[in-house]
Amino acid sequence: QEYTFRLHHLLGARAPAQTEMLEPWARQVEENSGGQVKIEIFPAMTLGGRPPELVQQARDGVVDLIWTVNGYTPGLFPRTEVMELPTVFKNDPKAANLALFDMFESDLKDDYKGLEVMFLHVHAGQAIQMVDKEVRTPADLAGTKLRIPTRTGAWVIEALGASPIGMPVPELPPALQKKVVDGALIPFEIIPPLAIQDQTQYQIELFDEERLGTTTFQVSMNGDRWAGLPDDIKKAFKDASGRDWWGHVGEVWRGTDDFGIKLATDAGNTHIILTEEETQAFRDAMAPVVDHWVADVSGSGIDGAALVEKARKLVADNASSK
Amino acid sequence: MDPITLGFSALIILVALIAVRIPIGYAMILVGGVGVAFLNGPALLFNQLKTLAYGQFSIYDLSVVPMFILMGALASKAGLSTALFRCANAWMGQMRGGTAMAAIAACAGFGAVCGSSLATASTMGRVALPELKRYGYSGALATGTLAAGGVLGILIPPSVVLIIYAIIVEANIVTMFAAALLPGLLAVLLFILTIAIYVWIRPEAGPRGDGIDAREFREATLGVIPVVLIFGIVLGGIYGGFYNPTPAASIGVALVWLYGALRGRIKLPELIDSIKETAGTTGMIYLILLGAELMKIFMSRAGLPQATAEWIIQSGYAPMTVMVLLLIALILLGCLMDSLSMILLVIPFFWPVLIDLNGGIYQGAEGAGFGMSTEDLKVWFGILALIVVELGLITPPVGMNVFVISALAKDTPMIETFKGVMPFFGAEIVRVVVLLAFPGFVLWLPRLLAG
Amino acid sequence: MTDIANKSRTGWTGAAVWLITLWALLGGALLLSVVLMNVASILGAIVGNAVPGDFELTEIGVAVAVFAFLPYTQVTDANVTADIFTSGAGPRMVAFLKLLGALIALGFALLLLWRMYAGMGDQRDYGYTTTILQLPVWLAFIPILISLALLALAAVVSLRDHTDILRGKA
Ligand code: NA
Ligand code: NA
Repeated sequence: QEYTFRLHHLLGARAPAQTEMLEPWARQVEENSGGQVKIEIFPAMTLGGRPPELVQQARDGVVDLIWTVNGYTPGLFPRTEVMELPTVFKNDPKAANLALFDMFESDLKDDYKGLEVMFLHVHAGQAIQMVDKEVRTPADLAGTKLRIPTRTGAWVIEALGASPIGMPVPELPPALQKKVVDGALIPFEIIPPLAIQDQTQYQIELFDEERLGTTTFQVSMNGDRWAGLPDDIKKAFKDASGRDWWGHVGEVWRGTDDFGIKLATDAGNTHIILTEEETQAFRDAMAPVVDHWVADVSGSGIDGAALVEKARKLVADNASSK
Repeated sequence: MDPITLGFSALIILVALIAVRIPIGYAMILVGGVGVAFLNGPALLFNQLKTLAYGQFSIYDLSVVPMFILMGALASKAGLSTALFRCANAWMGQMRGGTAMAAIAACAGFGAVCGSSLATASTMGRVALPELKRYGYSGALATGTLAAGGVLGILIPPSVVLIIYAIIVEANIVTMFAAALLPGLLAVLLFILTIAIYVWIRPEAGPRGDGIDAREFREATLGVIPVVLIFGIVLGGIYGGFYNPTPAASIGVALVWLYGALRGRIKLPELIDSIKETAGTTGMIYLILLGAELMKIFMSRAGLPQATAEWIIQSGYAPMTVMVLLLIALILLGCLMDSLSMILLVIPFFWPVLIDLNGGIYQGAEGAGFGMSTEDLKVWFGILALIVVELGLITPPVGMNVFVISALAKDTPMIETFKGVMPFFGAEIVRVVVLLAFPGFVLWLPRLLAG
Repeated sequence: MTDIANKSRTGWTGAAVWLITLWALLGGALLLSVVLMNVASILGAIVGNAVPGDFELTEIGVAVAVFAFLPYTQVTDANVTADIFTSGAGPRMVAFLKLLGALIALGFALLLLWRMYAGMGDQRDYGYTTTILQLPVWLAFIPILISLALLALAAVVSLRDHTDILRGKA
């Protein structure tokens, strides 16, 4: 073993993100390298710092590899953020990941200065999870307080006439229980670790599993470390992080999300899937979010409209057959 | 060097530095920082230092720490800590050892708004030590009682250590506070019993107080009403779920300030004094947090916790054996380290081990290694860990609460304080055994509140 | 805290301690502002009008306040030390050990000043902001760097105090 890498991330060692995604990927890289590479995974910020520092840790070489939520450092990955937008991301994490792969070299790479991206991915999408309020139209959300997931998520909440509330994830269950917030915009995958089924009655998604945008994640290596690697080692990483793998990660997150909603319905919660007409009302209400984003990133000299168009097309091209 | 040797060498150096009066925060910063630079090069350390301190100091859940400290400082200026002690003493003072029992009760009351042991020990020490001396209590019992009473600051929620634990294992802070409440009251009961037995064996150590007249009794009792009201609003809001700990602490600070101002006890000079006191204590705690973070980084990189966790899993010990061994290890480590540092250093590595032993993160009660769901295990283990790391505050050679009380009681040698605190240590061991045998003690209240 | 905390001072150390105390009080005023902002947010939430970004304002405000407290902690000797092993040592020995402690504090303050100055550059250049209010994080580093400079000054004052004792002046 000539090359040791430290992979640092924020969730616990038993979270599906580690057991079903990071560990299999790391073992594959090790195998590809014929045992020359060893990847040690450090969960739960055990190499120090707070989750928003992960990106800087990778850029500075404090750690070799990170897995992190792009949205923890808002505005740092403006191009990739396109995939977080509602109506761009709809219902298909695998297609979204493949689209990210297909547009990475041409459109997204500039977000990642000082980093070498191994793979990007999304989760299955933000659903509306409400304490006791049944939601079928945007008007039902007017005046409610919802916990925000990301800055684009905050815009979605505002566009729907609700108030975005920021709070750390562990405080969400009591906040829901006592109605400090009326609900949250989070994927179903978060239901099991936080026992959200106990604090909410309604799990709401749009027609055909469509969601209200998603969150983007990255696994990246320090740029200099990457540049200094011999070609066979680089190949070991790239082979483990090919197009198929990006797509497979989408399936993994689909799976954890399905597990989450099953847990909630088994517990007697109401799973609402809106009709096509009801869904259209949400899409109309959320349309300004895309415009807001396009205007926001144009400040950094990015052609947001073109990115939105390209992302939508690639997501459609890569749609999974159901 | 193998991780075990390296990690233990570093711990020995740390203890040596602490022993020669290097401030504990700086000793940890030095050992952790030099250790990281030694393992992975100074450039890596320098890069991490660009954001590490800001990251640690801006953790939202920690923002309650300076607030609860400020609240404690203002509460003592506003006369709330005196009112607590006076009321408790009116009720218990006539008994043998009664004034010491009153000090325990008052510490518990103060602990209900203060999240820090050191702040509780120093506040109540200032109020109660002169009284205990006036009634002729032995130095060992007087200082031992207050050093032990001070730990109620973290045993009775809210508690800084519990907040940190909840952050690490992703537990709900309010659930953890609820779980700590009954065990905390059990601690009060056992401490008072300890004093009763102590003065039964050594009657000269804790004489009876003077009887007080009915008027004084009534005034002392009524005097505690504002305290109960303010604490009720703060704690009621947290347990009722109307607000999270940080806003609750904010409301507490504002109410105590307002009360003190209305009573004419907090004017600008008192406010300035309170801020100065908060500045000194907060700076001290945050330096330790930063030091603990650097130690954690160094230990992770050296691989000591991972190697130990691996060894536990390979050993094939029964879950309960591992639990007991882990608690004993924490008690031993507590002789040398401070409670916050231990939680920060140990929990991230050993919590996953306990999850594995229990049968996974979503394990239900049925067929679980510890006979309870992993969610319950999180709560139960948190309270047990809280108790054993808090013991470190009163065990020699490094016992923070003993240091704080010693600084206030210049005429009692520190060795006497350590002697005086030992019976309370015994009481705590009894409590750990009770909670190990009856997890329901911990789990009942959170379940009730969750419906 | 020891006698050093209550020592009356003149000359440059007096001016330094005055400045450090003033800075800590400003930090305290900031902490009180965060407290009042949280109270306003709770009261506002009752009428459905919470302070936007109260969460991130709390994080930044408390962090800046805590850094402002560090020099005061140093100059008043409020850092916890374990005195039991050296309780038999004479005042000159103790002064020597405390001198070592102050040297570590000085080294730490200068190192962190240097590194966090670089950190401020990263925060500005990469454009780190808060989530809701989109406040640039690097702005918070300005008062923090001042705090670290004052921490170095505080350590120098401690060094002076302990060398005075060693030389038998105090
Ligand atoms: Na407490
Ligand atoms: Na100890």
